Amino acid sequence: MHFKLRAATKEDCKEISRMILELAVYEKMSDQVKISHEELERDGFCQNPFFECLVAEVHEEDKAKEGFTMVGYALYFYTYSTWKGRSVYLEDLYVMPEFRGKGIGKGLLGKVAEMGKKEQCVRLQLSVLEWNTPSRDFYAAKGALDLTDNEGWHFIRFDGQNLDNLANEAPKD
Amino acid sequence: MDFSIRAANVEDCKDIARMIVELAEYEKVADHVKVTQRDLEQDGFSKNPFFHGIVAEVPEQHKTKDGHTKIGYALYFYSYSSWSGRAIYMEDLYVMPEFRGKSIGKALMSKVAQLGLAAGCNQLNFTVLDWNKPSLDFYLSQGSFDITADMGYHCMRCEGEALEHLAQP
Repeated sequence: MHFKLRAATKEDCKEISRMILELAVYEKMSDQVKISHEELERDGFCQNPFFECLVAEVHEEDKAKEGFTMVGYALYFYTYSTWKGRSVYLEDLYVMPEFRGKGIGKGLLGKVAEMGKKEQCVRLQLSVLEWNTPSRDFYAAKGALDLTDNEGWHFIRFDGQNLDNLANEAPKD
Repeated sequence: MDFSIRAANVEDCKDIARMIVELAEYEKVADHVKVTQRDLEQDGFSKNPFFHGIVAEVPEQHKTKDGHTKIGYALYFYSYSSWSGRAIYMEDLYVMPEFRGKSIGKALMSKVAQLGLAAGCNQLNFTVLDWNKPSLDFYLSQGSFDITADMGYHCMRCEGEALEHLAQP
């Protein structure tokens, strides 16, 4: 099956938003999705974008049963390691179930790595749920290391009221 | 003890580089540090910086025996959650050992949170090593939660040859 990978445009945000929700459903956390295509349009296509995005499209004759030709996406942004330097973080990688097994996910991942290489990034990082064996196997096959298992790294987060409380304690300028 | 916190500027990169190595020594991986003062200057203070920094300073009379008045820092950048939007990631938080216990670390972290909220962020994220109990306890006591322990997220990394291979067209 032919597919095309390209940089997302502002007009793609409605489709990307649809697929973000599909991925959240797969991860059993659809109630966690709080943003819509409007935030994506604002935050991904402003002067200093918070993220970049690639989309995968198929031809009209291969479209999904619901009529979609946009069948996958990868959302990523640049980060920094004070040990190793410039890095890229893959926030989301998703291909609609009926289009899996055709190299689209691999193509998207490779394209993100290529974009990172252009920016002289030395690392590509992401997170994956412990129970998500297909994804864990996919990334392990590509040479990804599990830093949580191997080195003991844990993700920590402040959000909601706890984030507000923390910020309120900042020294006054 | 009086201390002040301000945005880092390019002249601070020498001290930040020094403290990055000190933090890596504490994390038992000093030989992992490849980033130099020059890298920090280029990557943090160019047109599209990869990170931002804040430094904690003490007055001259409280300087270290080596003469340093810059005694702590936090390094952060903006990130994105496809579920909740704008986020801020704290890559490093460090206070020199002799200045700990004076709320400087807390003040640095609060400042990062404040900067994040001002930029419209809904999350402050970072990572910590599971054996680093003092840090883990500190963060949890401040109201954070452990996404790895609670939700099962694992951090993954591709680098070196694996990354080269991935980036082949």
